[in-house]
Amino acid sequence: MTIVTGQAEMSRGAVPVRTGVLRKIWVHRADYAYVLPAIVVMLIVIAYPIYYTIDLSFFKTPPGLQLKDKIFVGFDNYAAILTSEVFWKVTLNTLTWTIASTALSFALGFAAALALHRDFLGRGVMRAILIIPWVISAVAASYIWKWIYHSDFGIIGAVLVELHILDRPPNFIDSVNTVLPSLIVVNIWREFPFAMIMMMAGLQTVPDQLLRAAKVDGANAWQRFWHVTFPHLSNVSTVTILLLAVANFNSFIIPWIMTGGGPANASHIWITHIYELAFGRQRWGVAAAYSVLLFIILMTLGYFYVRALSGNERKERGA
Amino acid sequence: MTSFKLGAAVLRCAVASAFLASAMSTSVFAAPPVDLSKWSPDYVKSVAGTKDFDTAADCSKVTPLDYKGRVTLWYQGVFEGDPDILRQNYKDFFAAFRATYPNITLEDQGLTYNDLLDKFRTALLGNAAPMVARLQILGGTEFAAKGYLQPLKPEDVGYSTDDFWPGAMKAVTWQGVTYGVPTNNETMAFIWNADIFKRAGLDPEKAPATWDEVVKDSKIIHDKLGVSGYGLVARKNAGNTPYRFMPQLWAYGGGVFDEATANPTYKEVELDSPQSKAALQASYDMYVRDKSVPVSALTNQQADNQPLFLAGQLGMMISHPSDYLVMQDLLKKTTGTDTQKAQTVIDNMRYGLIPTGPDGKRAVVFGGSNIHILKPEYVDGGKVDMPAAKALICFWTSPEWSLKLAWVGSNPGNLNGFLTKWMKTRLETTKFLDVTTSMLPYGIPFPALPQSPEIMNIIVPDMLQNALTGAMTVDEAAADAAKKVKDLMGGGGL
Repeated sequence: MTIVTGQAEMSRGAVPVRTGVLRKIWVHRADYAYVLPAIVVMLIVIAYPIYYTIDLSFFKTPPGLQLKDKIFVGFDNYAAILTSEVFWKVTLNTLTWTIASTALSFALGFAAALALHRDFLGRGVMRAILIIPWVISAVAASYIWKWIYHSDFGIIGAVLVELHILDRPPNFIDSVNTVLPSLIVVNIWREFPFAMIMMMAGLQTVPDQLLRAAKVDGANAWQRFWHVTFPHLSNVSTVTILLLAVANFNSFIIPWIMTGGGPANASHIWITHIYELAFGRQRWGVAAAYSVLLFIILMTLGYFYVRALSGNERKERGA
Repeated sequence: MTSFKLGAAVLRCAVASAFLASAMSTSVFAAPPVDLSKWSPDYVKSVAGTKDFDTAADCSKVTPLDYKGRVTLWYQGVFEGDPDILRQNYKDFFAAFRATYPNITLEDQGLTYNDLLDKFRTALLGNAAPMVARLQILGGTEFAAKGYLQPLKPEDVGYSTDDFWPGAMKAVTWQGVTYGVPTNNETMAFIWNADIFKRAGLDPEKAPATWDEVVKDSKIIHDKLGVSGYGLVARKNAGNTPYRFMPQLWAYGGGVFDEATANPTYKEVELDSPQSKAALQASYDMYVRDKSVPVSALTNQQADNQPLFLAGQLGMMISHPSDYLVMQDLLKKTTGTDTQKAQTVIDNMRYGLIPTGPDGKRAVVFGGSNIHILKPEYVDGGKVDMPAAKALICFWTSPEWSLKLAWVGSNPGNLNGFLTKWMKTRLETTKFLDVTTSMLPYGIPFPALPQSPEIMNIIVPDMLQNALTGAMTVDEAAADAAKKVKDLMGGGGL
């Protein structure tokens, strides 16, 4: 429609002759006008903070100075981060946290979706119950889990001791070896309903006639799943996994409330470490450099996310 | 020449005389209201109730009572570990201020100890701070060094510098300028459960005299009764950790710097000295070797130790006199047989001086809070109503309210508070208060440096966690912490 309008205007000779990109912009000027307010808002709330963070990442911010008195240090903050043992430890924690949480949340959510896709008595109730962890406040959930795990009088420990399975309560969150897996369990518990909902929506798009045809052709349950259902879910699976991965890279509430990144940095992930550096230790410059690195990783994931969405659209158009 | 010299001498003499007369008439040479050299429980009792104060009348000299204005306040207030009576006193304070200054609009916001610094720093970055902030003792120097605070001394709000503890004044002074007024000063004491001591075969009426004895008794209690001996706290980003570990560190002769000496210079880092390592080793022995302290010490704060103590699962801990009242508040929440068990614990609560190090050195953190006025450019709205701010600070730091707001958890910042009738009431109604006031002369302030919050809230707890989790040996953890402090002071490190 806009092209036609543009051509009409051009034919009237009401506008100067324009070529290339400028001409296209002029032709689509109404479209740009419509999206301008959104672009302005995005520039203020997204682009400027990104620019400021990148700029800040080149400065040192000692505790005795105000932020405005920051000292230019070039790439020193990046060098300090990349040569720091803590950074690599935190990066390993972040990767462990993200990969394990994403993979297990997805697997559990997918399994739950498959189970709930079948028609059985009480399916609605089960679905509602399984969604509870996702709708409950993350802060409240973190405090509850902290008490469940408590190393001296947690519920799990009390039950295990009471049943004479263990002599003393297990140490979940006060040990460098068990703290991260313990937090990942909480994260999976909270996230799997999201994967479940996404996959349940995906399952409803699998054509019934294909499944019936496969059954008629003698395909067993596994073959129907693997050759019919699963291919239909590949795009929704990709999107779900990417969304989970981005959310997990950005996780903060559960590790911060339950352990504050401890003990001995064993449960620090990137976001909690950035928060501690910025707000606990006022290393704004280092925290900004950290954030820039995280931004690059998340943008890469975002690129794949957009590609996955575009792939979906292309397929839909092709269909 | 001679006449000129004579004239100059006469002039100097006249100026000096005028200055001396002026100084004598002000508070510069005023004597402290209490004799700190005589400090003892008996002395504190003898001076209580000996002087009357009229807060409204005193503050009206600073800001007229009919003054019309507005003041915003953030304060480190009560939290989950405080007793109900303190909550009530805070309510009473704000009601009294509003009644005394009915035309001043006070917008107050209470924050917990662990949240205040982060929120305050963030607000300052956005020039959205309140006009007045009451900060933990650890925070004043940092914000003064950064230039956020206005110079403010007790004389500006109607009091004398001598009305406050010298150690407390150090914490509000940066490069010779005073930037705040102390509101309260605290020293903690050692608390133990006499019943647990008795059942473990220890003298129920005698606290461990040294930290080495704490380690030994903690093990005896754990081995004999299966409950935790000492309430170790090693959580990061929690004020409770340095308040409990630093007395141990200082008692062994260690320190972050030389802050435990009479005239600290803060030049040499001593976290990796043999004495500091000995203190860390004591914690290691309790947590790792003997397993005689709560496993949850790494994620716990004192508020988590309180229910453990009340449940008879903890033999000893360091805390305020308020813990006795907290236990009574918690008792009200118990049901069934738990009530009797809790009552037994409360009946068996004992308070004593914090143990000494091997050389007889006794130390405790000289803690507390200070109140400050922000510079207008960092305040939300860009203005500070000075008369209203001073009225609030005069009210808060008055003998009456600096005492009442410190009722059971602390001590009045204004030494005149010890002379009031309310101090007498406090001594009569607050069990074990005399023990914690007896610890005041042993108080050591945190280093008055802008880096102190990071050192105390992050580096020291990190050192403990690194050693206690086995992530590092005691030597490595001490060396790592010392390096972090050196890096921090040098402006580097991550």
